[in-house]
Amino acid sequence: MRHASTSVRPPGGISRRSLLAGGLGALGATWLAAGCSSSGPASRDLPVEAASGDPASGGVLRIARPPASDAETLDPASALSAYEYLGAVYNRLTRIGEDGSVVADLAESWEPSPDGTRWTFALRRDVTFHDGRPFTSADARYTLRHLLDPDVASPQAGVLAPMLDPSGIHTPDPHTLVVELTRPNAEFPSLLTSYNCYVIPDGSAEPGGPRIGDTGIGTGPFRLESFTPAGRGRVVANPEHWQGRPVLDEIEFYAIPDTQARSNALLAGQVHLLSQTNLDFATARVINASERATIARSVNSQWYGLPMLCTAEPFTDPAVRQAMKLAYDPRAVLDVALQGAGVIGNDNPVPPEEPYWTDYRVERDPEHARFLLRRAGLEDLRLDLYTSAYDPVFTPMALAFRDSVREAGITLDVRTAAAESYFSQIWMQKPLMATYWYTGRPIEQLLNQIFRGGSSYNETAWADDRFDGLLDEARGEMDADRRRMLYQDAQRYVVDHGGSITPMFADRLVGLSRDVLNYREYGFEFDYLNIGLRR
Amino acid sequence: MLSFVARRLFSALLTIALSSVLIFLALQALPGDVASQILGRDATPEAVATLREQLDLDQPAWQRYLEWVGGAVTGDLGTSLASGEPVATEVGLHLRNTLLIAVVTILVAVTLSVVLGVLAGLYRDRWPDTLISGLSLVGMSVPEFVVATLLVLALSITVPVLPAVVLDGPSASIGELLPAVWLPAAALGVAMTAYIVRMARTSVIDVMAGEFVTTATLKGLGRWRVVTRHALPSALLPTLNVIAMNVAWLVGGVVVVENVFNYPGVGSLMLQAVHNRDLPMLQAIALISAAVYVLCNLAADLGAMALNPRLRTREQVGTR
Repeated sequence: MRHASTSVRPPGGISRRSLLAGGLGALGATWLAAGCSSSGPASRDLPVEAASGDPASGGVLRIARPPASDAETLDPASALSAYEYLGAVYNRLTRIGEDGSVVADLAESWEPSPDGTRWTFALRRDVTFHDGRPFTSADARYTLRHLLDPDVASPQAGVLAPMLDPSGIHTPDPHTLVVELTRPNAEFPSLLTSYNCYVIPDGSAEPGGPRIGDTGIGTGPFRLESFTPAGRGRVVANPEHWQGRPVLDEIEFYAIPDTQARSNALLAGQVHLLSQTNLDFATARVINASERATIARSVNSQWYGLPMLCTAEPFTDPAVRQAMKLAYDPRAVLDVALQGAGVIGNDNPVPPEEPYWTDYRVERDPEHARFLLRRAGLEDLRLDLYTSAYDPVFTPMALAFRDSVREAGITLDVRTAAAESYFSQIWMQKPLMATYWYTGRPIEQLLNQIFRGGSSYNETAWADDRFDGLLDEARGEMDADRRRMLYQDAQRYVVDHGGSITPMFADRLVGLSRDVLNYREYGFEFDYLNIGLRR
Repeated sequence: MLSFVARRLFSALLTIALSSVLIFLALQALPGDVASQILGRDATPEAVATLREQLDLDQPAWQRYLEWVGGAVTGDLGTSLASGEPVATEVGLHLRNTLLIAVVTILVAVTLSVVLGVLAGLYRDRWPDTLISGLSLVGMSVPEFVVATLLVLALSITVPVLPAVVLDGPSASIGELLPAVWLPAAALGVAMTAYIVRMARTSVIDVMAGEFVTTATLKGLGRWRVVTRHALPSALLPTLNVIAMNVAWLVGGVVVVENVFNYPGVGSLMLQAVHNRDLPMLQAIALISAAVYVLCNLAADLGAMALNPRLRTREQVGTR
């Protein structure tokens, strides 16, 4: 799954590194803030929107990014894809619009059969790949089969394979794609908006020839000129792009694993934008106070959570999970950990931007939490809560949560684990920890991928037949209003019974140069067409 | 004298061989599976199984050790688990970049610090000594990443004359890297200078209080001649060891500084290797660091022998 530095990183990348960088960032912040105070009082309020306007035509945008790994590839299906390049050089069949709905990309329109098992996509006719080949349904079919190929081990395969067999993908004519599902799914087009689902040319991933992982031949607004795994690369404007030529002439990508080094590069004017980087507040204020750079917020783009492992004591008991959720004050956690830059999560993992979102919430009640624990024989419950320097919000969130649940008689010991191995040693292994995900997954993908029993990303190991049944019912319901009600029932069920504590959704604090105009990013969508530089 | 050199060479080789065993064992004991570490949060059982198969991780450890040592002797350090490139090529490239920093740092810092240290020693307790000792104490106490941040703040952000980070990859030419070398070299130099200054000062003071210096002075030699011909060779002896250790530290321990500057050297390669659980890469870097330590010490010992009349004479007597 995409998170700030997959290695990281990279960058990414990180325990001692981030600890040092963290201390360093704060240190630099103090000095810089002092240095910048002459140019105007540093505002505590970070801007929300990026500057917009009429950009210069052309120009070279330089983006610093955390590398996924030394084995990075441009194959979108791969778990190790170089994320920033994908949106620049490829298109998908469908993508997510600003209102959270599924909108057209390479597919112009789509129509389900009455029972939702057969989807017919009408594909655009005016699209060519960067090598001049026209885009046809054969490419779309190949892309889906490549995603399902067990050798590729694509993260999206786990989502698609249960309902899609490679033999069920048909191309009646060059501009029609027919997908026969093995079970009905009314939300199937939304599953093709994943960043693994970018369309690649027919046969481009076969061994023996030039591989898509190196060539990056797509239909996107930019053509690949060079790419080095975990190194620098460059894409140039594609004048033949079907949506029109992008504003910029070129984008240069630089891999910088260390967050502090990335911030320094921005402050020194060496790069224009820090990708996949949620800056800590100290660094964000420093950047905002500088003359060259500023901050834009990607609103509610990070879902922060404290997953309770439902297969580990004491969380095998649903009453204990309920008590943990009742015990804390989400407002306090939001204020401390995000200093207000986000919204309360209501323990519902579905973000407010999602069209099917429900505002269902259970009011905080530490007394009832105490009662539930007493009844479960767990008075004076004491647990370890794991955090790491992987993300700047983890530890403040953990500490605020710890302080908040004390009122219910729960004692938490916050333990800091190494960031380098946080997601291989702690995640899904320790009963209670801090995590985050990028929001932007459509509800069908989110609930099935992270909450369905047995899914490999199910971080709470929660398996509930009633909930899974609700999901099956929802995806099979072709009536939109009834489907909405079912998805909202599913959300309420997660809030009441699931293992996820979701205190908040956070804005990502993105560092960018004051020269950048029309930076727009939400979920996994980045507007590469309109981003430009000041005249 | 020859037998002394031979003995030192033999023990150096033995040290390297022993460290190769230790390195291999230590890395085997690291927690975490390479495949799941590379994949991170995407380490689904299927993905891990696929990757483990691709990486041949199922051979027994002793067999992999023998293959590794056998390869290392012939210059083949294996293939990086993360990138699939030969380790020797990648390490070589990064080592070249680190050596570029090392050479600049050593040339500037060692010269400067020996001169400052000797000056401080000669002007003991007078103002040049107070100034030099004070500054070197500060340099020693402030961690190098703070020095690095201050340098970036001053010379990249406030007055942008030098780049804050290196944007080029490891295969950049020396010419492309040269503008980026000065800040990391300065950050390392500050820490390194401090130690050498302190050591040089102490040994100059010790030697100047020695009887043979007094004798030389009483013989009526000029102060300059006493210092250069009699005191300095002896005073530099212990300093030489400190310099050798610092040079070794430079090649092995530039991790933090390289990271702050995104400099594509051995240090950042090692961090990346740790991050990726890239065992062949880590082994190669650890082995090379061990070899550099041993070689620097060997050079210091041999240098000391060349400078130390007593050692030289005794050996000559022995061989006769």
